[in-house]
Amino acid sequence: MILRQLALRQGRRVFIPSASRPWIRFLNTEIERTNITVDNANEANLDYIGSQTDIPIAPIEETGESLVSSSYTMWLNQKKQTAHLGSTLDPHYKPHTLINRPPSPKDVTLELLMASQAHLGHATSLWKPQNQRYIFGIHQGIHIISLDITAAHLRRAAKIVEAVCERGGLVLFVGTREGQDRCVVNAAKLAGGCHLFERWIPGSITNGQQILGRCKMKVVDDLGNEIEGYEEQLIDRATLKPDLVVCMNPLENYVLLHECGLNAIPTIGIIDTDADPTWVTYPIPANDDSLRCVNLIAGVLGRAGEEGQKKRQAAALKAGFTGPSPNRKAGDAS
Amino acid sequence: MGRYDLRPLRVHQTASQLLQTGRIKTPPPWYDVVAAIPPTQASVRTLPIEQHDRKTSGSKAKATKKPSKMFQPQKILYKEDALRRQFFGDHPWELARPRVVLENDGKDGKACDWSRISQPGRRLDGESVVQRQLWLMENVLEISPTEAYDQARHEFYALRYQEDVERRVAKEEALSTGAYFGKTHLEVGMELEDKTWEVWKEWALRESAAQQQKRASAYTGLERESEDANVVNPIDPIVGPELEELAEGEGPPVAS
Repeated sequence: MILRQLALRQGRRVFIPSASRPWIRFLNTEIERTNITVDNANEANLDYIGSQTDIPIAPIEETGESLVSSSYTMWLNQKKQTAHLGSTLDPHYKPHTLINRPPSPKDVTLELLMASQAHLGHATSLWKPQNQRYIFGIHQGIHIISLDITAAHLRRAAKIVEAVCERGGLVLFVGTREGQDRCVVNAAKLAGGCHLFERWIPGSITNGQQILGRCKMKVVDDLGNEIEGYEEQLIDRATLKPDLVVCMNPLENYVLLHECGLNAIPTIGIIDTDADPTWVTYPIPANDDSLRCVNLIAGVLGRAGEEGQKKRQAAALKAGFTGPSPNRKAGDAS
Repeated sequence: MGRYDLRPLRVHQTASQLLQTGRIKTPPPWYDVVAAIPPTQASVRTLPIEQHDRKTSGSKAKATKKPSKMFQPQKILYKEDALRRQFFGDHPWELARPRVVLENDGKDGKACDWSRISQPGRRLDGESVVQRQLWLMENVLEISPTEAYDQARHEFYALRYQEDVERRVAKEEALSTGAYFGKTHLEVGMELEDKTWEVWKEWALRESAAQQQKRASAYTGLERESEDANVVNPIDPIVGPELEELAEGEGPPVAS
């Protein structure tokens, strides 16, 4: 807020036409030539810095709307003059795009997976031999995961997430390692599901009544809006269980995956060369230690969930769903 | 944990059984999905991807047919590995330079044209020498690996020398426009050593005085002047037998 005010004040000072300080001088990067030697270099530096901050304020002639519009015109002019200046950056890796604008499953290429370090496994002595079919070879003492196998498994997992979301299933995204919270929250938001980035409390599924019994439950319509009037029915209802669990670090979440197995809940997980692939229903052989790789996979699965949600809502609207009627009560057959 | 638990792979069968027996009334939302897209085969060994030919005859041939060896992943070999070993063996301090292993889109290597050793947007490195040498070996007719290596590394040396000149000139420019630099790491190291030396000297003085007293008190009765004459001046503890006696006692204190 303070910055904005400062800029506006600066802007007003800058763009008021005054003979004493023409605007072209602001583009001039040359310093004023003075006799600078090694001895008086420090003082010369300080004097120069001091001279730049004391910008003289010209008396303001225009007021109100005409001032704003003239300032805006000058600003547009300035932009036009300076747009061609500066350097253009080549396309490069921007970490935040994996969270804010994640790629969709059809944008996943082997080059993208390699740049995200998805092929780097663990030391050869630490492997699980069950993972042998996912490994491309050995290089510099570590196993290299085969990226076409990774891509195939990732696309399969994405189809599962999309289809489950299309049928209104609840997807739980789990990532309990440090730094995995952002991607997991974002993926859950896109897919309309739930997220977990702190420790999984053992028994949340098998002993859900005890651990999650106090959590609020609500009934929503096809577009996600809450429907009132179901409070009495929800009292006796068992706690919700997820319909699909996506885990970014299965090695640390054995209890969660075991509970899902006991309750017949399908799971998706990133399986490194030292992880057991039988712990999850749909393994994605990839590097779970690289945050870039985890962000990519979570983003892709989130996007797939988003697609599923869109399809579901489109189908609901097509079938003539326009939302609950205003006088609807719970228990009404409609 | 324990033996194989294949329940995650059998979620669909479990759900089918629950439906059949009436434990659940309606199928879960994922039921049709998992039926249509089943999990992939797990825990089955396949023949590994061939990186190089396995021996079919000779002493190692039997090993390639044993199940314990047949399914092992193979080592990935590159032509550049030998060249890297040679370059970094000859220039070990190049390994101390920081290396950026971040890639942009995975196609970074395709943008490089190794007809020149310096690439825009890519740091000059031992890897540049190796790639340049490989390019010369493949594109220049009748050039031996040694000649290619010599040419590549001389181009590399010229560019490194240029970098050194730039660094030196930058420092001179900075000094002339008013920058001042702190102590170099060598000066800091010398100061730390001096500090440690002073601490050690204090300890040594105290130890030598204590040893002298111990020796003096060992003789009960008359103390002869000639005994003291054998004792070395404690102010100069390095010279003389003091050094061995100091080793018997506790070690000198370390300056923190």
